[in-house]
Amino acid sequence: MAGRRGKFWLFVAILVVLHFTLHLTLGLGRSAPDLLTVAALLGARRVPGAGAALLGAVLGLLNDVLSLTSFGASAVALTVACYLGSRTRDLFEGDSLLFGALYLFLGKWLHDTLYFLLGLSRGGTDDAVNVLLTNAPIAAAYAAGAGLLALILFRSAGGER
Amino acid sequence: MLDFDVTRRERQRDAALAGGVLALAFFLWLMPPDWQGVVRANMRATALRPFLATQEAIGARRALGVDVVQLRAQRDSLGAVAAAQGTLAEENARLRATLGLRSRLAEEYIPADVIQVGLDPAESTFLVNVGAADGVREGSIVLTPEGLLGEIWEVDEHRAQAIDWTHPEFRASAMTADGEVYGLVEVRRGRYREEDVLALTGASFHSDIGPGRRVVTSGRGVYPRGILLGTVLGIDEADTGWRKSYLLLPAVRPEAVRTVLVRVGQDQSDLSDVWNVSAPPDTASNPDTAGGG
Repeated sequence: MAGRRGKFWLFVAILVVLHFTLHLTLGLGRSAPDLLTVAALLGARRVPGAGAALLGAVLGLLNDVLSLTSFGASAVALTVACYLGSRTRDLFEGDSLLFGALYLFLGKWLHDTLYFLLGLSRGGTDDAVNVLLTNAPIAAAYAAGAGLLALILFRSAGGER
Repeated sequence: MLDFDVTRRERQRDAALAGGVLALAFFLWLMPPDWQGVVRANMRATALRPFLATQEAIGARRALGVDVVQLRAQRDSLGAVAAAQGTLAEENARLRATLGLRSRLAEEYIPADVIQVGLDPAESTFLVNVGAADGVREGSIVLTPEGLLGEIWEVDEHRAQAIDWTHPEFRASAMTADGEVYGLVEVRRGRYREEDVLALTGASFHSDIGPGRRVVTSGRGVYPRGILLGTVLGIDEADTGWRKSYLLLPAVRPEAVRTVLVRVGQDQSDLSDVWNVSAPPDTASNPDTAGGG
Protein backbone atom coordinates (compact mmCIF):
# COMPACT_ATOMS: atom_id res chain seq x y z
CA MET A 1 0.00 0.00 0.00
CA ALA A 2 2.82 2.35 1.02
CA GLY A 3 4.67 1.41 -2.17
CA ARG A 4 1.65 2.23 -4.32
CA ARG A 5 1.26 5.54 -2.54
CA GLY A 6 4.93 6.33 -3.06
CA LYS A 7 4.63 5.52 -6.76
CA PHE A 8 1.63 7.81 -7.08
CA TRP A 9 3.41 10.78 -5.50
CA LEU A 10 6.45 10.09 -7.67
CA PHE A 11 4.08 10.24 -10.65
CA VAL A 12 2.75 13.63 -9.41
CA ALA A 13 6.31 14.90 -8.97
CA ILE A 14 7.21 13.80 -12.51
CA LEU A 15 4.21 15.74 -13.86
CA VAL A 16 5.39 18.87 -12.00
CA VAL A 17 8.96 18.56 -13.31
CA LEU A 18 7.63 17.89 -16.82
CA HIS A 19 5.46 21.01 -16.60
CA PHE A 20 8.38 23.28 -15.79
CA THR A 21 10.60 21.55 -18.34
CA LEU A 22 8.06 22.14 -21.11
CA HIS A 23 7.00 25.64 -20.11
CA LEU A 24 10.14 27.14 -18.61
CA THR A 25 13.16 25.24 -19.93
CA LEU A 26 11.79 24.76 -23.44
CA GLY A 27 9.58 27.89 -23.36
CA LEU A 28 6.70 26.15 -25.14
CA GLY A 29 3.96 28.27 -23.58
CA ARG A 30 0.39 27.32 -24.43
CA SER A 31 1.43 24.71 -26.95
CA ALA A 32 2.21 22.51 -23.93
CA PRO A 33 -0.56 21.37 -21.55
CA ASP A 34 -0.87 22.68 -17.99
CA LEU A 35 0.50 19.58 -16.24
CA LEU A 36 0.96 21.49 -12.97
CA THR A 37 -2.80 21.87 -12.50
CA VAL A 38 -3.26 18.24 -13.59
CA ALA A 39 -0.72 17.11 -10.96
CA ALA A 40 -2.32 19.24 -8.25
CA LEU A 41 -5.85 18.01 -9.04
CA LEU A 42 -4.81 14.36 -9.16
CA GLY A 43 -2.92 14.70 -5.88
CA ALA A 44 -5.86 16.52 -4.26
CA ARG A 45 -8.06 13.41 -4.57
CA ARG A 46 -5.63 11.40 -2.42
CA VAL A 47 -5.37 13.71 0.62
CA PRO A 48 -7.75 15.45 3.05
CA GLY A 49 -9.04 18.95 2.25
CA ALA A 50 -6.34 20.82 4.17
CA GLY A 51 -3.57 18.76 2.56
CA ALA A 52 -5.09 19.36 -0.86
CA ALA A 53 -5.28 23.10 -0.20
CA LEU A 54 -1.63 23.11 0.88
CA LEU A 55 -0.60 21.15 -2.21
CA GLY A 56 -2.47 23.63 -4.41
CA ALA A 57 -0.94 26.62 -2.63
CA VAL A 58 2.63 25.32 -2.95
CA LEU A 59 2.34 24.32 -6.61
CA GLY A 60 0.46 27.54 -7.43
CA LEU A 61 3.17 29.58 -5.78
CA LEU A 62 5.80 27.80 -7.88
CA ASN A 63 3.83 28.72 -10.98
CA ASP A 64 3.70 32.34 -9.81
CA VAL A 65 7.43 32.78 -9.39
CA LEU A 66 7.86 34.65 -12.68
CA SER A 67 4.58 36.58 -12.42
CA LEU A 68 5.36 40.29 -12.11
CA THR A 69 1.84 41.64 -11.63
CA SER A 70 -0.30 38.78 -10.33
CA PHE A 71 1.98 37.00 -7.90
CA GLY A 72 -0.11 34.72 -5.66
CA ALA A 73 -3.14 34.56 -7.98
CA SER A 74 -2.31 31.08 -9.22
CA ALA A 75 -1.71 29.97 -5.62
CA VAL A 76 -5.15 31.20 -4.56
CA ALA A 77 -6.88 29.66 -7.59
CA LEU A 78 -5.15 26.30 -7.21
CA THR A 79 -5.80 26.23 -3.44
CA VAL A 80 -9.55 26.58 -4.03
CA ALA A 81 -9.58 24.12 -6.95
CA CYS A 82 -7.62 21.49 -5.00
CA TYR A 83 -9.73 21.83 -1.87
CA LEU A 84 -12.92 21.38 -3.87
CA GLY A 85 -11.22 18.53 -5.75
CA SER A 86 -10.51 16.79 -2.47
CA ARG A 87 -14.12 17.19 -1.40
CA THR A 88 -15.36 15.52 -4.60
CA ARG A 89 -14.47 12.21 -2.91
CA ASP A 90 -17.58 12.75 -0.78
CA LEU A 91 -19.67 12.73 -3.92
CA PHE A 92 -17.79 10.41 -6.28
CA GLU A 93 -15.76 7.53 -4.97
CA GLY A 94 -14.98 6.02 -8.37
CA ASP A 95 -11.66 6.17 -10.17
CA SER A 96 -12.78 5.58 -13.75
CA LEU A 97 -10.90 7.24 -16.59
CA LEU A 98 -14.06 8.99 -17.79
CA PHE A 99 -14.60 10.52 -14.36
CA GLY A 100 -10.90 11.41 -14.20
CA ALA A 101 -11.06 13.26 -17.51
CA LEU A 102 -14.22 15.15 -16.55
CA TYR A 103 -12.74 15.99 -13.14
CA LEU A 104 -9.54 17.37 -14.69
CA PHE A 105 -11.50 19.33 -17.30
CA LEU A 106 -13.76 21.00 -14.72
CA GLY A 107 -10.91 21.54 -12.25
CA LYS A 108 -8.71 23.24 -14.83
CA TRP A 109 -11.62 25.38 -16.07
CA LEU A 110 -12.38 26.42 -12.48
CA HIS A 111 -8.70 27.28 -11.92
CA ASP A 112 -8.54 29.41 -15.08
CA THR A 113 -11.82 31.15 -14.20
CA LEU A 114 -10.64 32.01 -10.69
CA TYR A 115 -7.26 33.14 -12.04
CA PHE A 116 -8.98 35.39 -14.58
CA LEU A 117 -11.30 36.90 -11.95
CA LEU A 118 -8.34 37.63 -9.66
CA GLY A 119 -6.56 39.25 -12.61
CA LEU A 120 -9.62 41.40 -13.34
CA SER A 121 -9.49 42.78 -9.82
CA ARG A 122 -5.91 43.88 -10.58
CA GLY A 123 -6.93 45.75 -13.73
CA GLY A 124 -6.78 42.91 -16.27
CA THR A 125 -8.09 43.94 -19.67
CA ASP A 126 -8.69 40.64 -21.46
CA ASP A 127 -12.13 39.95 -22.88
CA ALA A 128 -14.09 37.79 -20.37
CA VAL A 129 -16.14 35.91 -22.97
CA ASN A 130 -13.05 35.10 -25.00
CA VAL A 131 -11.06 33.95 -21.98
CA LEU A 132 -13.76 32.06 -20.07
CA LEU A 133 -15.74 30.53 -22.93
CA THR A 134 -13.08 30.04 -25.59
CA ASN A 135 -9.53 29.89 -24.24
CA ALA A 136 -10.29 28.30 -20.85
CA PRO A 137 -12.34 25.34 -22.16
CA ILE A 138 -9.75 24.64 -24.85
CA ALA A 139 -6.93 24.74 -22.30
CA ALA A 140 -9.03 22.58 -19.93
CA ALA A 141 -9.71 19.99 -22.63
CA TYR A 142 -6.01 19.93 -23.55
CA ALA A 143 -4.98 19.50 -19.91
CA ALA A 144 -7.65 16.82 -19.33
CA GLY A 145 -6.49 14.93 -22.43
CA ALA A 146 -2.86 15.08 -21.35
CA GLY A 147 -3.80 14.12 -17.78
CA LEU A 148 -5.84 11.19 -19.02
CA LEU A 149 -2.94 9.95 -21.12
CA ALA A 150 -0.60 10.30 -18.14
CA LEU A 151 -3.05 8.40 -15.93
CA ILE A 152 -3.33 5.57 -18.45
CA LEU A 153 0.47 5.33 -18.64
CA PHE A 154 0.76 5.40 -14.86
CA ARG A 155 -1.88 2.69 -14.40
CA SER A 156 -0.44 0.46 -17.08
CA ALA A 157 3.05 0.89 -15.61
CA GLY A 158 1.69 -0.07 -12.18
CA GLY A 159 -0.36 -2.98 -13.53
CA GLU A 160 -3.65 -1.33 -12.54
CA ARG A 161 -6.85 -1.41 -14.57
CA MET B 1 -23.16 8.62 17.28
CA LEU B 2 -19.64 8.90 18.65
CA ASP B 3 -18.17 8.13 15.22
CA PHE B 4 -20.38 10.74 13.66
CA ASP B 5 -19.15 13.39 16.14
CA VAL B 6 -15.51 12.46 15.60
CA THR B 7 -15.97 12.62 11.82
CA ARG B 8 -17.72 15.95 12.07
CA ARG B 9 -14.99 17.38 14.31
CA GLU B 10 -12.30 16.14 11.94
CA ARG B 11 -14.06 17.73 9.02
CA GLN B 12 -14.40 21.02 10.82
CA ARG B 13 -10.71 20.91 11.70
CA ASP B 14 -9.82 20.03 8.13
CA ALA B 15 -11.95 22.87 6.76
CA ALA B 16 -10.40 25.30 9.24
CA LEU B 17 -6.87 24.27 8.20
CA ALA B 18 -7.79 24.59 4.53
CA GLY B 19 -9.20 28.05 5.29
CA GLY B 20 -5.89 28.95 6.90
CA VAL B 21 -3.98 27.84 3.81
CA LEU B 22 -6.33 29.88 1.61
CA ALA B 23 -5.81 32.91 3.86
CA LEU B 24 -2.05 32.46 3.50
CA ALA B 25 -2.38 32.29 -0.29
CA PHE B 26 -4.49 35.47 -0.24
CA PHE B 27 -1.88 37.13 1.96
CA LEU B 28 0.81 36.31 -0.61
CA TRP B 29 -1.38 37.73 -3.37
CA LEU B 30 -2.07 40.94 -1.45
CA MET B 31 1.49 41.45 -0.15
CA PRO B 32 3.26 44.68 -1.12
CA PRO B 33 5.14 44.26 -4.44
CA ASP B 34 8.52 44.72 -2.74
CA TRP B 35 7.89 41.77 -0.42
CA GLN B 36 6.61 39.71 -3.32
CA GLY B 37 9.82 40.52 -5.17
CA VAL B 38 11.90 39.08 -2.33
CA VAL B 39 9.86 35.84 -2.30
CA ARG B 40 10.11 35.56 -6.09
CA ALA B 41 13.85 36.16 -6.12
CA ASN B 42 14.42 33.49 -3.47
CA MET B 43 12.26 30.94 -5.28
CA ARG B 44 13.96 31.69 -8.61
CA ALA B 45 17.33 31.11 -6.98
CA THR B 46 16.24 27.79 -5.44
CA ALA B 47 13.24 25.84 -6.75
CA LEU B 48 13.34 27.08 -10.35
CA ARG B 49 17.09 27.45 -10.68
CA PRO B 50 17.65 24.07 -12.41
CA PHE B 51 15.03 24.86 -15.06
CA LEU B 52 16.33 28.37 -15.74
CA ALA B 53 19.95 27.22 -15.80
CA THR B 54 19.08 24.42 -18.21
CA GLN B 55 17.29 26.84 -20.51
CA GLU B 56 20.34 29.10 -20.61
CA ALA B 57 22.55 26.10 -21.35
CA ILE B 58 20.23 24.97 -24.16
CA GLY B 59 20.34 28.48 -25.62
CA ALA B 60 24.14 28.44 -25.56
CA ARG B 61 24.25 24.99 -27.19
CA ARG B 62 21.84 26.10 -29.89
CA ALA B 63 24.25 28.88 -30.79
CA LEU B 64 27.14 26.41 -30.96
CA GLY B 65 25.07 23.94 -32.95
CA VAL B 66 24.76 26.23 -35.96
CA ASP B 67 28.14 25.17 -37.32
CA VAL B 68 27.35 21.48 -36.94
CA VAL B 69 24.09 21.92 -38.78
CA GLN B 70 25.91 23.71 -41.56
CA LEU B 71 28.57 21.01 -41.86
CA ARG B 72 26.00 18.25 -42.05
CA ALA B 73 24.08 20.19 -44.61
CA GLN B 74 27.18 20.64 -46.77
CA ARG B 75 27.82 16.92 -46.61
CA ASP B 76 24.27 15.87 -47.35
CA SER B 77 23.06 17.94 -50.25
CA LEU B 78 23.26 21.24 -51.98
CA GLY B 79 19.66 21.96 -51.14
CA ALA B 80 20.33 21.40 -47.47
CA VAL B 81 23.37 23.69 -47.76
CA ALA B 82 21.21 26.41 -49.20
CA ALA B 83 18.70 26.00 -46.41
CA ALA B 84 21.40 26.05 -43.74
CA GLN B 85 23.06 29.09 -45.29
CA GLY B 86 19.70 30.79 -45.44
CA THR B 87 19.26 30.23 -41.71
CA LEU B 88 22.84 31.31 -41.07
CA ALA B 89 22.43 34.39 -43.21
CA GLU B 90 19.30 35.28 -41.29
CA GLU B 91 21.15 34.75 -37.99
CA ASN B 92 24.07 36.79 -39.32
CA ALA B 93 21.83 39.61 -40.45
CA ARG B 94 20.14 39.69 -37.07
CA LEU B 95 23.43 39.78 -35.15
CA ARG B 96 24.87 42.37 -37.54
CA ALA B 97 21.79 44.49 -37.05
CA THR B 98 22.17 44.23 -33.27
CA LEU B 99 25.87 45.06 -33.48
CA GLY B 100 25.17 47.85 -35.92
CA LEU B 101 22.58 49.28 -33.59
CA ARG B 102 25.04 49.11 -30.73
CA SER B 103 27.69 50.93 -32.74
CA ARG B 104 25.21 53.73 -33.33
CA LEU B 105 24.34 53.90 -29.66
CA ALA B 106 26.57 55.05 -26.86
CA GLU B 107 28.37 52.55 -24.61
CA GLU B 108 25.36 52.80 -22.34
CA TYR B 109 23.81 49.69 -23.85
CA ILE B 110 24.90 46.07 -23.48
CA PRO B 111 23.84 43.09 -25.62
CA ALA B 112 21.83 40.28 -24.05
CA ASP B 113 20.13 37.03 -25.04
CA VAL B 114 16.38 36.74 -24.56
CA ILE B 115 14.98 33.76 -22.62
CA GLN B 116 11.31 33.27 -23.45
CA VAL B 117 9.10 32.24 -20.51
CA GLY B 118 6.26 29.85 -21.31
CA LEU B 119 4.37 30.07 -17.99
CA ASP B 120 0.88 31.61 -18.16
CA PRO B 121 1.38 33.92 -15.13
CA ALA B 122 4.53 35.29 -16.80
CA GLU B 123 2.73 36.20 -20.02
CA SER B 124 4.08 39.29 -21.81
CA THR B 125 7.37 39.09 -19.93
CA PHE B 126 10.79 37.67 -20.81
CA LEU B 127 14.15 37.10 -19.15
CA VAL B 128 17.52 38.44 -20.27
CA ASN B 129 20.87 36.90 -19.33
CA VAL B 130 22.30 40.10 -17.86
CA GLY B 131 21.63 41.44 -14.38
CA ALA B 132 22.69 43.75 -11.61
CA ALA B 133 26.31 42.59 -11.94
CA ASP B 134 26.29 43.99 -15.50
CA GLY B 135 24.79 47.31 -14.44
CA VAL B 136 21.18 46.51 -15.31
CA ARG B 137 18.60 48.02 -12.97
CA GLU B 138 14.84 48.30 -12.68
CA GLY B 139 13.54 50.61 -15.37
CA SER B 140 16.33 49.86 -17.86
CA ILE B 141 14.92 49.95 -21.37
CA VAL B 142 15.26 47.04 -23.80
CA LEU B 143 15.84 47.75 -27.50
CA THR B 144 16.08 45.74 -30.69
CA PRO B 145 17.32 46.91 -34.10
CA GLU B 146 13.65 47.37 -35.05
CA GLY B 147 12.68 49.55 -32.10
CA LEU B 148 11.48 49.47 -28.48
CA LEU B 149 10.74 46.06 -26.97
CA GLY B 150 10.10 46.81 -23.30
CA GLU B 151 11.45 47.65 -19.88
CA ILE B 152 13.25 45.76 -17.11
CA TRP B 153 11.05 45.27 -14.04
CA GLU B 154 12.98 42.90 -11.81
CA VAL B 155 16.72 42.37 -11.52
CA ASP B 156 18.72 39.44 -10.11
CA GLU B 157 22.51 39.29 -9.96
CA HIS B 158 23.01 37.73 -13.39
CA ARG B 159 19.50 37.75 -14.83
CA ALA B 160 16.64 40.20 -15.21
CA GLN B 161 12.96 40.02 -16.07
CA ALA B 162 11.31 42.55 -18.34
CA ILE B 163 7.85 43.33 -19.67
CA ASP B 164 7.37 43.71 -23.40
CA TRP B 165 4.91 46.10 -25.04
CA THR B 166 2.10 43.49 -25.00
CA HIS B 167 1.95 43.78 -21.21
CA PRO B 168 -1.22 45.56 -19.99
CA GLU B 169 0.87 47.94 -17.89
CA PHE B 170 3.16 49.05 -20.72
CA ARG B 171 2.85 52.77 -21.46
CA ALA B 172 5.11 55.06 -23.50
CA SER B 173 4.79 58.76 -24.08
CA ALA B 174 4.91 59.06 -27.87
CA MET B 175 4.70 61.35 -30.87
CA THR B 176 4.65 61.11 -34.61
CA ALA B 177 8.17 61.18 -36.07
CA ASP B 178 7.68 64.76 -37.25
CA GLY B 179 6.58 65.82 -33.76
CA GLU B 180 3.15 67.08 -34.87
CA VAL B 181 0.97 64.82 -32.72
CA TYR B 182 1.63 63.63 -29.18
CA GLY B 183 -0.09 60.94 -27.16
CA LEU B 184 0.36 57.83 -25.09
CA VAL B 185 1.10 54.43 -26.62
CA GLU B 186 -0.40 51.33 -25.00
CA VAL B 187 -1.34 47.82 -26.06
CA ARG B 188 -4.61 46.77 -27.71
CA ARG B 189 -4.88 43.10 -26.80
CA GLY B 190 -6.14 40.62 -29.38
CA ARG B 191 -7.56 37.15 -28.74
CA TYR B 192 -4.02 35.81 -28.87
CA ARG B 193 -0.73 37.58 -28.18
CA GLU B 194 0.17 37.34 -31.87
CA GLU B 195 -2.84 39.58 -32.60
CA ASP B 196 -1.78 42.31 -30.16
CA VAL B 197 -1.12 45.73 -31.64
CA LEU B 198 -0.27 49.13 -30.21
CA ALA B 199 -2.52 52.17 -29.98
CA LEU B 200 -1.59 55.84 -29.86
CA THR B 201 -4.20 57.26 -27.47
CA GLY B 202 -5.00 60.78 -26.37
CA ALA B 203 -4.19 62.42 -29.69
CA SER B 204 -6.08 65.68 -30.27
CA PHE B 205 -9.37 65.27 -32.17
CA HIS B 206 -8.31 67.52 -35.06
CA SER B 207 -5.19 65.45 -35.67
CA ASP B 208 -5.11 63.48 -38.89
CA ILE B 209 -2.35 60.89 -39.03
CA GLY B 210 -2.30 58.89 -42.23
CA PRO B 211 -1.44 55.19 -42.43
CA GLY B 212 2.30 54.50 -42.63
CA ARG B 213 3.38 57.42 -40.45
CA ARG B 214 5.93 56.37 -37.86
CA VAL B 215 5.41 56.86 -34.14
CA VAL B 216 8.37 57.20 -31.77
CA THR B 217 8.93 57.85 -28.08
CA SER B 218 8.66 61.53 -27.21
CA GLY B 219 11.25 61.57 -24.40
CA ARG B 220 8.70 62.80 -21.85
CA GLY B 221 8.64 59.58 -19.83
CA VAL B 222 11.18 56.94 -18.92
CA TYR B 223 12.11 56.28 -22.55
CA PRO B 224 14.57 58.54 -24.41
CA ARG B 225 13.21 60.46 -27.38
CA GLY B 226 13.23 58.94 -30.86
CA ILE B 227 12.87 55.18 -30.30
CA LEU B 228 10.69 53.60 -32.97
CA LEU B 229 7.41 52.14 -31.64
CA GLY B 230 5.43 51.41 -34.80
CA THR B 231 3.65 52.74 -37.86
CA VAL B 232 0.06 53.98 -38.02
CA LEU B 233 -2.51 51.52 -39.39
CA GLY B 234 -5.59 53.72 -39.04
CA ILE B 235 -8.03 55.27 -36.58
CA ASP B 236 -8.93 53.13 -33.57
CA GLU B 237 -11.67 55.32 -32.10
CA ALA B 238 -12.75 58.94 -31.87
CA ASP B 239 -13.99 60.09 -28.48
CA THR B 240 -17.01 62.35 -29.17
CA GLY B 241 -15.13 65.38 -30.34
CA TRP B 242 -12.33 65.32 -27.80
CA ARG B 243 -9.67 62.77 -28.63
CA LYS B 244 -8.65 60.26 -31.23
CA SER B 245 -6.82 56.96 -30.95
CA TYR B 246 -4.79 55.39 -33.74
CA LEU B 247 -3.86 51.74 -34.14
CA LEU B 248 -0.17 51.08 -34.76
CA LEU B 249 1.63 48.20 -36.40
CA PRO B 250 4.33 47.45 -33.78
CA ALA B 251 7.93 47.80 -34.89
CA VAL B 252 8.93 44.73 -32.84
CA ARG B 253 7.21 41.34 -32.48
CA PRO B 254 8.26 40.05 -29.02
CA GLU B 255 7.90 36.36 -29.90
CA ALA B 256 10.55 36.66 -32.63
CA VAL B 257 13.22 38.47 -30.59
CA ARG B 258 16.35 36.51 -29.59
CA THR B 259 18.95 39.21 -28.88
CA VAL B 260 18.46 42.69 -27.46
CA LEU B 261 20.30 45.69 -26.11
CA VAL B 262 19.69 46.69 -22.49
CA ARG B 263 20.45 50.20 -21.27
CA VAL B 264 22.82 50.28 -18.31
CA GLY B 265 23.46 54.05 -18.21
CA GLN B 266 21.32 57.06 -17.46
CA ASP B 267 21.69 58.78 -20.82
CA GLN B 268 18.40 60.30 -22.00
CA SER B 269 19.77 61.80 -25.21
CA ASP B 270 17.70 61.84 -28.41
CA LEU B 271 17.95 58.54 -30.31
CA SER B 272 16.15 59.74 -33.43
CA ASP B 273 19.32 59.39 -35.51
CA VAL B 274 19.62 55.70 -34.60
CA TRP B 275 16.38 54.87 -36.38
CA ASN B 276 16.67 57.84 -38.74
CA VAL B 277 13.08 58.64 -37.93
CA SER B 278 13.05 62.11 -39.41
CA ALA B 279 13.76 60.73 -42.92
CA PRO B 280 10.99 59.68 -45.32
CA PRO B 281 9.58 56.23 -44.44
CA ASP B 282 10.84 54.45 -47.55
CA THR B 283 14.50 55.17 -46.75
CA ALA B 284 14.28 54.82 -43.00
CA SER B 285 12.53 51.52 -42.49
CA ASN B 286 15.84 49.67 -42.23
CA PRO B 287 18.44 51.45 -40.11
CA ASP B 288 21.30 49.59 -41.78
CA THR B 289 20.40 50.61 -45.31
CA ALA B 290 19.43 54.10 -44.22
CA GLY B 291 23.01 54.83 -43.31
CA GLY B 292 22.10 56.11 -39.94
CA GLY B 293 25.61 56.03 -38.53
